[in-house]
Amino acid sequence: MSLWFELAVSGLITGGIYAMVAIGLNLQYGLMRILNISHGEFLMLGAYLTWLAHTVLQINPLVFLPVVALVLFTIGVVVYRLCFFRIVSTAPAVEVIEARSLLVGFGLLYLVQNAAYLTWGADLRGYSFLTESVEIAGARFSANRLVIFAFAVGASLALLGVLRFTLIGKAVRAMMQSPTGAQLVGIDTRLLHPVVFGAGIALAGVAGALLSMVYEISPAMGEPYTVTALIVIVLGGLGSALGSLLGGFLLGLVETFGMHFTSPSLKMLLSYSVLIAVLLARPKGLFAR
Amino acid sequence: MNWKSTIKLIAATLSAAILAPALAQDAPVRVGYAISRTGPFAAGAQLSQEPNYIMWAEQVNAAGGLSVGGKKRKIELIGVDDRSEVETMVRSYEKLMGSDKVDLILPPWGTGMNFALMPLAQKHGYPMLSPTATGRKLLSLKNPYFFPLLQQPDVMMVALAEFLRARGVTTAAMVHVDELFGLEQAAALERAFNEKGISIIEKKSYPIGVKDLQPVLRDIKAKNPDAFIALSYPPDTFLITGQSKALAFNPKAFYAAVGAAFPVYRDKMGVGTVEGVMGLGTWNPKTSPAANAYFDAHVARWKKEPDRWASAHAWAGLQILQQAVGKAGLDRKKIRDYIASTEFDTVIGKIRFKNGENVSTPGVVSQWQSGEFEVVWPPQRATAPAYFPKAAWK
Repeated sequence: MSLWFELAVSGLITGGIYAMVAIGLNLQYGLMRILNISHGEFLMLGAYLTWLAHTVLQINPLVFLPVVALVLFTIGVVVYRLCFFRIVSTAPAVEVIEARSLLVGFGLLYLVQNAAYLTWGADLRGYSFLTESVEIAGARFSANRLVIFAFAVGASLALLGVLRFTLIGKAVRAMMQSPTGAQLVGIDTRLLHPVVFGAGIALAGVAGALLSMVYEISPAMGEPYTVTALIVIVLGGLGSALGSLLGGFLLGLVETFGMHFTSPSLKMLLSYSVLIAVLLARPKGLFAR
Repeated sequence: MNWKSTIKLIAATLSAAILAPALAQDAPVRVGYAISRTGPFAAGAQLSQEPNYIMWAEQVNAAGGLSVGGKKRKIELIGVDDRSEVETMVRSYEKLMGSDKVDLILPPWGTGMNFALMPLAQKHGYPMLSPTATGRKLLSLKNPYFFPLLQQPDVMMVALAEFLRARGVTTAAMVHVDELFGLEQAAALERAFNEKGISIIEKKSYPIGVKDLQPVLRDIKAKNPDAFIALSYPPDTFLITGQSKALAFNPKAFYAAVGAAFPVYRDKMGVGTVEGVMGLGTWNPKTSPAANAYFDAHVARWKKEPDRWASAHAWAGLQILQQAVGKAGLDRKKIRDYIASTEFDTVIGKIRFKNGENVSTPGVVSQWQSGEFEVVWPPQRATAPAYFPKAAWK
């Protein structure tokens, strides 16, 4: 019993980390069809900001989260204006937005990553924070991972609530369904678009800030997270906040139980099998409507 | 052609004839290399390898230049970024050796990269003194131009087995990264432990890039081995340490492979946490006055500490190259023969190559103690007595 409980919690925590990495990209790709392949790079920026604040200024990383969110939001709005505004406003169809934004995203990826190399060098960095373990029903987990888990669940549910139950959420969904229609009923898409994009970047930064408490950081850290995020989003269904949370959980659980009952070396095989199975059974993802 | 231009032509020819030898004498020695400045290998390459290349060129040039058969010539480094891609690395060296015809090369970072470069270096006849490549598989190619500076995996694992056996360890559990390095280390470890009568009660492999190993560590903790050996790469070394601490998994000996010797390992995990953790290492500032001088110069130049394993091997390789060029000039065949047949004094002690293997540097076990990675085995190299058994995680 305790084994199953421990494996399940362990899997949910890992899944929570996956889900959290995906939330920001889900806003951009899932809702706006902007395939921002440089998602992981902004996550990396968030991680570096937090590391700097913690090691240089001794600021508590959790207290610093709102600052990271604000800085990255601002960067996001600027990036949107400079790079994605023209793509979104001139594209004749959403498929075109996907293809064009992918190219721009690649450019951003190199730009941001190399800027980080120039600024901080290639060295691994890190700090330790909340590494003490917490006991839950006889099983032990490190506190910083539990914080990430709580945040992933909280942020996903909050996002779900905003999109489903508020007027702004309704406006965002309307804008995605039909930009022209949304304008006709008085939704200011010129304001809403950059704000949603900026929120996506801010969430990437926050994810990076939280991850820096657990893992070491380097300028190259972002790319694998982008891949994870894409898998989770596709698994859960594009644009579905609940979907990416549950998609993340599913991946985490399959990996953890698979690691225990087979071999950790089969991790990739297991996660991609899940993805393939879901795509075969429900091509639009688990929670797509 | 009028007489004015004829005179000009003669003057130009004469001055060229007079100036050319003088210019040739001052021409720098061109030393080329490709190394990872970006991408996943950059963290290791920029810690253990390239800073040494640059610092070496600066120090030699400040002292008047590289002695080439009695004459001092400046070093001109030609370094490019291989972006952690094997193809880019090979293409860069092809250009450096094939069309730029540099005088010497310095190797890229990592076993895989060196493995890929070996045939090319042999074809063009460039000696490779490789600071970050290890494995019997590489030596089995019998490439006469390849001189790896690190200890071979079996040498390191035999030293670990002897160390543990001397402390009464009878059971061990191991995990290893599923990659050339991890597989070879794991095979060497199994052989060494079998010989010393240490039984391996659990053995698991895991892929590169793993983000959670708690289920594996939990199973191992339940089996309660005397020693735990992780034949890991840097990201997993950090992960395994953090999760073992969270699980309160406290074996008498806790060993992690690559990354344990990195100063950032101590800084990220905390001096208290890493206390008593053992790993792959060779040296520290206390192993010799030369090592201390190297450490100080590195910190002064780069504002960061070198790692306690490969960094000094990289420096030793440059010292060997410098001595070889001093004796043999820039004839690369002669340099190769000199390296192959001479015993060198370096920052990590004497180094002699036999069939390409560094047979002088012994297997070493190091352990974090109060913020320094102390050498604890073999006894004649030890800078501190070992903490054994390891205390509980702090």
